[in-house]
Amino acid sequence: MTFHDLFVEPFSYGFMQRGLLSAVLLSLSGGLLGSILVLRRLALMGDALSHSLLPGVALAYALFGTSTLALFFGALIAGLLTAAGSALLSRLTRVKEDAAFGSLFIIFFALGVALVSLLKSRIDLMHFLFGNILGVSPSDLRLSALASALTVVVFLVFYRSILLETFDPIFHRATGGHSGLAHIGVLCLTVLNLIAALQAMGIVLALGLFLLPAVTAYLWCDRLSHLLLVSVATALVGSFAGILVSYHLGLASGASIVLSLGVAFLVSAVISPRYGVGARLWKRVREGKGVLHRAD
Amino acid sequence: MSAHTHNILRFSHVTVRYGAQPALDDVTTAVPCGSLTAVLGPNGAGKSTLLRSILGWHDLGGGEIRIGDAHACHQLPRLAYLPQRQTIDWDFPITVRAVVEQGRYPSLKPWQRLSKTDHACVDRALAELNVTALADRQIRMLSGGQQQRVFLARAIAQGADIFLLDEPFAGLDLYATEELTHIVRAWEAQGRTVLASVHDLELARRHFTNGVLLNTRLIASGPVAGVLTEANIDLAFRGGPCLHDHLPVHPTAHFPG
Repeated sequence: MTFHDLFVEPFSYGFMQRGLLSAVLLSLSGGLLGSILVLRRLALMGDALSHSLLPGVALAYALFGTSTLALFFGALIAGLLTAAGSALLSRLTRVKEDAAFGSLFIIFFALGVALVSLLKSRIDLMHFLFGNILGVSPSDLRLSALASALTVVVFLVFYRSILLETFDPIFHRATGGHSGLAHIGVLCLTVLNLIAALQAMGIVLALGLFLLPAVTAYLWCDRLSHLLLVSVATALVGSFAGILVSYHLGLASGASIVLSLGVAFLVSAVISPRYGVGARLWKRVREGKGVLHRAD
Repeated sequence: MSAHTHNILRFSHVTVRYGAQPALDDVTTAVPCGSLTAVLGPNGAGKSTLLRSILGWHDLGGGEIRIGDAHACHQLPRLAYLPQRQTIDWDFPITVRAVVEQGRYPSLKPWQRLSKTDHACVDRALAELNVTALADRQIRMLSGGQQQRVFLARAIAQGADIFLLDEPFAGLDLYATEELTHIVRAWEAQGRTVLASVHDLELARRHFTNGVLLNTRLIASGPVAGVLTEANIDLAFRGGPCLHDHLPVHPTAHFPG
């Protein structure tokens, strides 16, 4: 197999080109948003949130078809209901926040599955959940481009606010920052990008494209700006590799992208020079050698 | 000292509730301009709540907090805040210099970059707190005292004149404690106002000029010697959730009934 066969020939097809473009766009916003989710320890929350969007998406899809706006608001409402509902439950009952969120998201997810099975829409459940990046249409691309551009612009303009709100929210608020706005903004952008990633990655796997590049970068970087750049770069490389693997081996595209990113993360976790397993073991070995046990 | 004649922070009937539980109950007091004031009291007495309510972090259940009044030498942003150690994620990918730069953020519009003046300001703050050599380190790579000085440098870079320090002495070793008292003393000499929640009564007695003793309600406030009387300490700490290690156990504490 030549270089041409491996890397060039696949992209002679229109669906592969669209898939690649979609991956590039989603990598830009996913890498950025994922970093914030990881730093704010919202990784699991984000995962649960993405599941809970399903009924909103399914209902919007059944009522309005592939209207982007409807899908976005359907998903946003479902997400907000889950978030607000769990906050309310934890405040009004004995149930703690995490249990309330965990319970509500799985109820919403089941509701979504039930709706999809009931509606017998053109798109089946597997598609909602896992997507297919090689089936991306031009209108899907437009939405991805919008979501991605909006995310990048927000990060460029509000970089300092985002940094402060993530690092020290009390200081941010004390110095006149809009804490609530930053909060809602990140939530809305996350939901928008999950919707944009619906066709390509599905609602469940999309978060892999957000989180895995970010945790990978987290193992390498000591500055937020570097973290964001490395995260986006990792997302780009990972999704490119994933698409190629998917093409050559005939794997499901979403899974193949997430697995490629997963390899990057696990390898980093071992070999990262400062924060990896290897570094820690090496340090222990060296320190162990430094201690002299002698009886005299 | 003429600066002490006017109060820079005034609390009148301040009440803050967490749910039904009052964290601060009808607190009325004042902090003199240019003073070194310790907020004292047992755990859960509302020390941190008092500091954060000045920053507008808590909605007041009643009363009001006034910051200064028309006073020419005071300009916004005047309040600097030093967070409690455990509220900071020390693994955050950020360098010392970037933390201190945050002090300049409030004065910048979103599209503006840090100017030469801003960078000079950051350099000065780093130098004043003696952390210039650490500027490129990630914040985990510092000692406890150094970490604290980084956040104090951020406050300096901000150009603030009122410093709110939340438990600044918690977890510091002896040397770092000495260093910090040195720093706040120097600030006091420069006419800056420092309000710090302090656990250690002895330390407050030695290094602070004023005290505010709380146990949800205000017990006493004013010059520190007058606040930390045995009767007041008994009143604040008696039956509290934590009898403090540093409290001398006096046989005078008797429990009527």
